[in-house]
Amino acid sequence: MLAGNNIRKSFGTSEVLKGVNVQIKPGRISVLIGPSGSGKTTLIRALALLDMPGHGEVVFNGRSYQFPLDANQKIDPPWPDVTVVFQQHFLWPHLTLRKNILLPLSKRTDSHHIVNDLIDIFHMGAFIDRYPNEVSIGQRQRVALARAFALKPKYILLDEITSALDVEQTGTVIRHLLTLRDRGIGMLVVTHLLAFARELLARDEGDQIYFIDDGKILGSGGMEFFNDPGSHRAKQFLSSMDYWSANGQVIHKNSKR
Amino acid sequence: MNTFLQIISNHSEAFLRGIGVTIQLALIIWGSGLAIGTLLGILSTKYKVIIGIPTRLITFILSGIPVLVYLYWAHYPMQTILGVVINPFITAAIVLSTINIFSVSDQIRTQLIDFPEQYTIAAKVCGLSQRTTIFRIQMPILLRQVIPPLLTQQVIMLHSTLFASLISVEEIFRVAMRVNSIEYKPIHIYTALYLLLFVCPLMAWLSGCDNALLEIYRNLKCLQGIISENLLAPQRC
Repeated sequence: MLAGNNIRKSFGTSEVLKGVNVQIKPGRISVLIGPSGSGKTTLIRALALLDMPGHGEVVFNGRSYQFPLDANQKIDPPWPDVTVVFQQHFLWPHLTLRKNILLPLSKRTDSHHIVNDLIDIFHMGAFIDRYPNEVSIGQRQRVALARAFALKPKYILLDEITSALDVEQTGTVIRHLLTLRDRGIGMLVVTHLLAFARELLARDEGDQIYFIDDGKILGSGGMEFFNDPGSHRAKQFLSSMDYWSANGQVIHKNSKR
Repeated sequence: MNTFLQIISNHSEAFLRGIGVTIQLALIIWGSGLAIGTLLGILSTKYKVIIGIPTRLITFILSGIPVLVYLYWAHYPMQTILGVVINPFITAAIVLSTINIFSVSDQIRTQLIDFPEQYTIAAKVCGLSQRTTIFRIQMPILLRQVIPPLLTQQVIMLHSTLFASLISVEEIFRVAMRVNSIEYKPIHIYTALYLLLFVCPLMAWLSGCDNALLEIYRNLKCLQGIISENLLAPQRC
């Protein structure tokens, strides 16, 4: 399990995370929703130990990372067992898409076999030998997902990966994420699209959603969260969003599916 | 045409020596600029206050005054004031090397500061070692960014050496005057031949390199722009 316990993080005098608790289980999807500036990306970076939390604990498969760190204390981050797919993809621009996936696998003897499998899974054959600036954002997104998948991580943290995708591409991403989940990978999916969150959660009762606002988790649960979000702020947030179905149909504000 | 060839033939030794001086001077300036300038650039990024601020200040001052002024000042008034006589070649080499060192350090510092952190973060979460990250990710990206402006800078320095080689080596200067007096031709014949035989081919070659690398640099910048602006629709550079 990957868990964050009482995670606090400040930038200067501004406290962005105020004692957050989250759990990501193997083979399960956890969805994190919340308004802009609520601390979603900061939480992902803290869980991945890219930005060290100011206070709290990150637990990865029984290994505990306690914060704050002692002076001169160095830690051994759990990369790539825990990896991140960012909103902006972060593909290396001087390498072709194929090499972007191959480079982290350079020590493996079956790297080309893995990449060929991924090309089939993510339908990347038509553009895999191009450079990142020669393909669309949706295609880059698929490569970023494939790169993360190729690492065979135990947990993937995904930060707003559908923000630049159209409805059809979002549907494709959902299928890929479900494939990853079926292979035992635990995921934390940050999104502001409620329909995307619903589609992910609707497939399995063990999946969970968290609502974060102002650096605090104000609600969590399974599919029932959408009908009974608990806190007033979570209700307010849900009621202010349009619900989009996976096939692009708009469900009007405040209506129930 | 015969006169042209005759001049080259008669004074080939002088021309070759002129080229030799320019190459010698250019090599010193390029070598010191790239080696010391790169080191200074890295140090000014690491020690922003102690080294970074003074370096930026000196670079600003150096870049604000024409090279010609520094060369004349170092060659004539400064030596008179100090009461020393320094070999003109050494004077030119020191002045131009100093200018090049600080220009290169500024280029390196800027590129290091602007290096997109996301590529390093991606390398981290992919589990790449620090060595692989430096040699396979950071260095190639940095080189693509820094080579075009550095090449341009070195071409500018080459221009300066052409002038410096004339004023700094009296012998060459005297030969140029002798060419003029013997042939009763203006000094620009010498200059034109010099440019034609040496500088133009070199400039063409450098320009080719510059254009090729600039294209890569632009593509990179374009990608950075798309990433940073987080465009919502599919885009191509």
